[in-house]
This record gives sequence, structure tokens and C-alpha cells, in this order.
Amino acid sequence: MRKMWQVTMWAVLASMLNGMPGLADVTAGNTNLQIEGSTTVGPIADEFVEAFKRIHPQVSITVKKTGSGDGAAALIDGRCQIATMSRFMKSEEFQKAVAKGVTPVAHAIAMDGVCVIVHPSNPIKALKIEQVKDLYTGKVTNWKELGGADMPVVVISRDTSSGTYETFSHFVMGKSRMFEKVEYVNSNPQAYSRVTTTPGAVGYVGLGFVDEKVKALEINGVAPNRKTIQSGRYPLSRPLFLFTNGYPELGSMVHAFCTFYLSEKGQEIVEAKGFVPVTNY
Amino acid sequence: MRIGPRLWLDRLFTALSLMAVLMIVVALIAILLPMLWRGSSAVVFRGTVEFRRMQLEQHGRGDSDDVRAEVEQAARIRQGAYDLLEQFAIVVDPSGMEKRARQIHREFGKQLEHRGVPEDQAAELQSLSKRLRGELLAAFEATEGPEALTHVQTVLAHAGDMRLAGTVAAQYFELAGRYKNALANVDLGRRAEYGVLFRQVQEALRDLLGPPPGSPLPAIIKDQYGATRWDQATRHMERLLWVEKWLPSRPGELLQKVRVPMEQEFRGTVLTKLFPYVREHVGDMLQPRWTCYWQFFFDDSMSSHYFGGVGPEILGTVLVTALAIAFALPVGVATAAYLVECAGDTRPTRVLRTCVNTLAGVPSIVFGLFGLAFFVIYLLPKLGLREGSSILAGASTLALLVLPVIIRASEEAIRTVPRAYKEAALALGASRFRCFVTVTLPAAMPGILTGLILSMSRAAGETAPILCTAAVAMGPVPTSLMQPTRTLSYSSYDMAVGDKMAMLAPHNQFGMVMTLVAIVLLLNIVAIVIRGRISRKLRGQ
Repeated sequence: MRKMWQVTMWAVLASMLNGMPGLADVTAGNTNLQIEGSTTVGPIADEFVEAFKRIHPQVSITVKKTGSGDGAAALIDGRCQIATMSRFMKSEEFQKAVAKGVTPVAHAIAMDGVCVIVHPSNPIKALKIEQVKDLYTGKVTNWKELGGADMPVVVISRDTSSGTYETFSHFVMGKSRMFEKVEYVNSNPQAYSRVTTTPGAVGYVGLGFVDEKVKALEINGVAPNRKTIQSGRYPLSRPLFLFTNGYPELGSMVHAFCTFYLSEKGQEIVEAKGFVPVTNY
Repeated sequence: MRIGPRLWLDRLFTALSLMAVLMIVVALIAILLPMLWRGSSAVVFRGTVEFRRMQLEQHGRGDSDDVRAEVEQAARIRQGAYDLLEQFAIVVDPSGMEKRARQIHREFGKQLEHRGVPEDQAAELQSLSKRLRGELLAAFEATEGPEALTHVQTVLAHAGDMRLAGTVAAQYFELAGRYKNALANVDLGRRAEYGVLFRQVQEALRDLLGPPPGSPLPAIIKDQYGATRWDQATRHMERLLWVEKWLPSRPGELLQKVRVPMEQEFRGTVLTKLFPYVREHVGDMLQPRWTCYWQFFFDDSMSSHYFGGVGPEILGTVLVTALAIAFALPVGVATAAYLVECAGDTRPTRVLRTCVNTLAGVPSIVFGLFGLAFFVIYLLPKLGLREGSSILAGASTLALLVLPVIIRASEEAIRTVPRAYKEAALALGASRFRCFVTVTLPAAMPGILTGLILSMSRAAGETAPILCTAAVAMGPVPTSLMQPTRTLSYSSYDMAVGDKMAMLAPHNQFGMVMTLVAIVLLLNIVAIVIRGRISRKLRGQ
């Protein structure tokens, strides 16, 4: 009796290890889709997956959100088929990829604006890009100097590995570095809540995080909204990407996923998630 | 030392110890109770008719006739609000009516062709239609009330024209009539000003009641339903009834927050009736009822944890933890047994012991990265298993993480077993192995179990080691150990950093954390009960 029980246990364990999906992966090819990368693009991917599941119930898709850089690394290592990135791939990453026989191909699936936000009690409404830079380099430390209230500036930035940081520092900081008093936070929600609770704070988040509790500043006279971001008139506009290894094989699940944003439903999802669709659907 | 101060010191020590215990209890209560309390709101809450509709449509739960009847009843009351909104919307945003007017003109042209009206007559009618359309469009575009009214009246003057009766063009008069009625209630000059606030009203009402009837089905499930919970509904009501304005007090100073009733902003328009209507009837529109959503612990999540439960997360956490313990416990106990029983106190064992202790202090992310490099990228593919993160890789990493704790605890437990036990067994002729298995190990079991409890709780809650080896933010329910999984710890993190979900659905985040705490608590209680039984048995009771 005891022996039989043992045998059953081993059989169960063995079947779990080498179970059907394990084998099915190999035989059915592309039914297993792994997506990895940006925390900004991740939510879009989540909703795409949910909609996708209804159309192709046989596909199993996993989404991981750790950062744009991790997405690029995973794509280069072959740990994922699709990397979500909120910035374009850097040339070093391209070189590494090519050295490993991976050709990254970008699919821009949505647009986003990096909005500079302040507490709604702050009388400042608009800033020039150089003035934002002055705030982050520590040249301006009191709002008074920009014509605002007499209040020290609390500067909030995203952590340096995020794609949002890369975008911001590319457009605003240029070659100069942020000064040592800048407070780094790990995510968009953190930056948002830090600004909502601190009257003197300035931070930057994606368009989806702007609501009535924070004030998005006009940059160079342009307010961030759908129109200005889509046309690129808002200076801190950026596309969001999916990266694949080569252009995905036509008819494959990767291809279907990477072109899903072109469908009306895909565009609607992008918009419902607080981003700007690439086309006027 | 004299007896007086000694007694006094004794009492002081007792008081201090008591205070320490009390502080721990208070801290536990202060941390755990609010968490459990707020987390329980994910399961027990006042669910609205929208919640019951969601349960029916997404899961097929509840009695469909009952829910339908409820939805219809609510819809009847909601219609009152939508009617008021519609009347105002016509004036603030007449783009829908503009489109309709253009469409009427096109259809009229086709209709004339179709009916075979003589050419000269048709041309005359078409130019009339074009004129009427032009007047209507001018009325829609006008920024002054009287100007708009003259345009509308010009259109209505043709209402008696028999040639247009029974054709599509007759709809011009209907449009004109509707617009005229709406004009009576709204000041056209403030159209732009109304626009922004009106959008807020529309959005708040949409969040409260779900998509208005007749609008297309939203793309994501979150937007397909209104407020499913009463606490959510009150938040949306706040946004509907009040507007926060930041007004300057003195130049060069901070703006001051002023809370203005939305009703006041729309003074003199038809919309003022909307706010008291919604305030009075919101209960009937949503019909809140106390609900126990016990399926929270089994359901899959929808719309990135906005709806649904934590079923796959619980499964993943339990699987990964159980497997990690299954790997670590035998190895750990065997190592401890070797260290105590066989190795003796030589230099290599001392070094080994130091290594184990050091391992216990290594940060968990280091284990995570090691797991990624060793299990995920090197070992599992080498064994011919699928590359990529998987439950197996995560459990192996966690096993390494808890191994030192198990080794240390087991070592201490085995060491404290009285020598007399062992000597008695050996004297009776048992081999060393048999003596260890039948005498030492059972006697050491309570201590080993303590180590097990500690390591199990740690494994269940760790995020960093499984971040790169087992966890995903979104994925199917795993059907084999070679697939990655969602876990409670990683999903809590994901919810907090990824999206706005923690802000929109805080109850679900608290619910997830509560579940994790509850699982750890439950595992601990089970282990403590087992330990209690064993120790009682050892004491011969």
C-alpha cells in the first residue's frame, strides 16, 4: 500500500515537471508569448493581453514589468519575444543585440507626454524648458525666482533606470546633471503622490497620471494634451515601443500582438489607459 | 547587596519586560488590525447593482432575472439624469446635431432622386434644404443667444411647407425645435466656460453609473461598469457635486483651495436640476446592498486588478512556498544532522558553519540574481527543460534563501536533545542512524518546526528572489511547474508601482496584502499547533 502511494506521488511529480504544457510549448511553437520590460508600457500590454485572450484563447501570454532596460536585456538574452520599452533602444544595446544575433525591430504603439507637475496651490502655470532645467540643476531653489510664491522648491525625479527619466533628461537636462538634492522615486504613482502632498514640489509623470489633484505645467507655452502630444508640439512627447527580434513572422502570434494596436479596439485601449493613440482611429 | 534595592530592581525589571511585551502587542495591533480591516473591505462591502451586473455578465453568477429586473428599475431612474444631461449637452456640444443636419441634407438629396421628382422642382427643394441646413449650422455656431434664436426661427418658419412634409427634411424642424427648447435654459456666451466643467460632470456621472445607454461598449472591462461599490460611489458623487478651485488670495502667495458646489457653477441652466436629482436618487440608481464577495480568493483579476480577485496569486504563492520548503527542509535537516552528529568540532566545520551564517545574511536580491543566472539561464535549459522563469526555478532560489535558517534552527534543536536519550538508544543496540531517526529527530522536531515556520513565512513574503526567477505581473494560471506564475508579493508591488490601479482600487491592493498576511498567519498557526502536539507527546502527556 505504502509503496503504491509512493509510486503515485513520483508519477504525479514527474508529470508536473514535464507536464503537458512543457511539451506543448515545443510542439505547438508560438502559443507561449513572453513580454517583459517597462512599467509605463506594461499596463497597456496587460489590457492588450486581456483583450487578446478573448480572441485567441489558446495563447498563454505572460507580462513582466521591471523597467525598459530589463526588457532590452531580456530580448537580447532571448528570455522574451517582445520587450516593452518607454524609450528607444540605446546604441550599446543594439550593438550587444547584433553581437548575439538579435535584430531589434521597434513598433511604436502609443504616444505619451512627460508632464511636469506641481501642487495645484502653486501659482506657476507655465515654464520654459530652460527654467525646468534650472529647477533640476539647483540653479533655482525658490519659486519666488520664477515669479511664484516664496517657497523652497522640492525637486522630485524618477530613478535613473526608468525610461521616463531617460526621456526627461534627454529633452530637459541635455548634458547637465541633476543636482544632489533631487529626490528620486521609483514609480509614477510615487512621484504623483509626493507632489500631491507637498506644496513646493515639482515632479514629472506620464500623461495618464495628470488629474485635478496635480497641475501639469505648460512647457514653452504648450499644454500637454492629446492633440499637442500626438502632433509632437508638446516638447516632452515620446513614443512607446514594443521591440521584437526581427520583424515578426507574418501570421504568428507575435505579429498579431505587435499589430493589435492598429485595430480600433487596440487604439481604444491605449486611450482608456491614459495614453495617446498613434493614429486618429 | 541589601534585600531592599534588590527587590526594587526585580520589580523594575518585571515592569520593563511587561512594557516591552505590551509594546509588541500594541505594535502588532496597530500594524495588523488596520491592514486586515481595510483588506477585508475587498471581500465585504456594500455592492451596487453594477457589481451584481458585473458578476452576472462576467462570471454568470446570481439570478439573471433578478439582476435584469434590478438593472431595469435602476435604468428607469437613471434616465431622468440622462435626460437633463442631454438637454444641456445639445447646447454645450452641438457637434452631434451638426453631423445630423449634414446627414439630413445628403439623405434628402438621395430621396428626391429616388422618388423621381421633376428636375427643376428637385433643384429648388435641394437649395431650400441647403438653406435650412445652413441656418441650423449657423444657429449651432452662434455665440449669442438672440442670434441663435433668429436662425432657429428662420428654419421653423418653413415648418408649414407642404412640399417637405413626410420627407427626411422634416427632421430639420425637429432639430430646430429641440435646440430652441435647450436655448431657453442656457446662456450661449458661457459655452466655452461650461465645456471643461461639463466634461467633469459627464465623466463623474459615467464613473458613477457606467456608460450611458446607447453609447458603444468601452474597450476595457473597467470602463464597462459604473461604481460597483458604495464607497467608490461616494467618491464619484463628491466629484460630481463639488468642484475644487484654486484661487489666488494675494499676488506672490499660494493659491487657496475653495470648494464650490457644482450646482452653483451651472446656475441658471437646466443642469442645476441634475445635482439635486442625483443626490436624492443615487441610492435608487445604484441600490447598494451588503455583499460578501468570497470569490475574491478564487477569481482571476480583470483589468489589471481593478475587478476580480487574487485566486492565481494565492495558488502561485502557495505553490512556490510549498515547493521551496519541500526542497530546503530535507537538505537542511540532513546538513544540520551532519554538522552536529558526525562532523565534530574541527576547523573545516567551523568554517562551514560561518559560511552558513553568512549565507543567512546575504540580501535576498543577490539570491534572486543568482537564481536568474544559475537556474533560469544555466541549469534548467541544460537539463532540457524550458528556458525562462518558472515556478521550479523560483522555488529552488527560495529554497537556497531559507536553507541557512533551517540549518541553524535544526542544528540548535538537535544539539539540545539530552545526551541521555541518545545513550539509552545506543545502549539498547540501535545503530547511530536508527538512533538519530527514531530518537533524536522526533525529540528535536519542535525546534526544527520553529525554523520551518520562520522560513515559510519568509519564503511566502519574499519578492526579490522570485522577481527574476518565477514571478510575472500578468499571465495564465500555471498548469505545470515549468511555467512562471503570479504571486501575492510581486503582484502587490506591481499594483503599487505600475499603474494607477492602487489609486483607483485601493481596496483590492489592501485585499491582496491582507491575503498574504492571512496566509502567513495561517501557515504559522498550523505549524504552531503541530509543534504544540509534538511537544506534548514528547512530555508524555
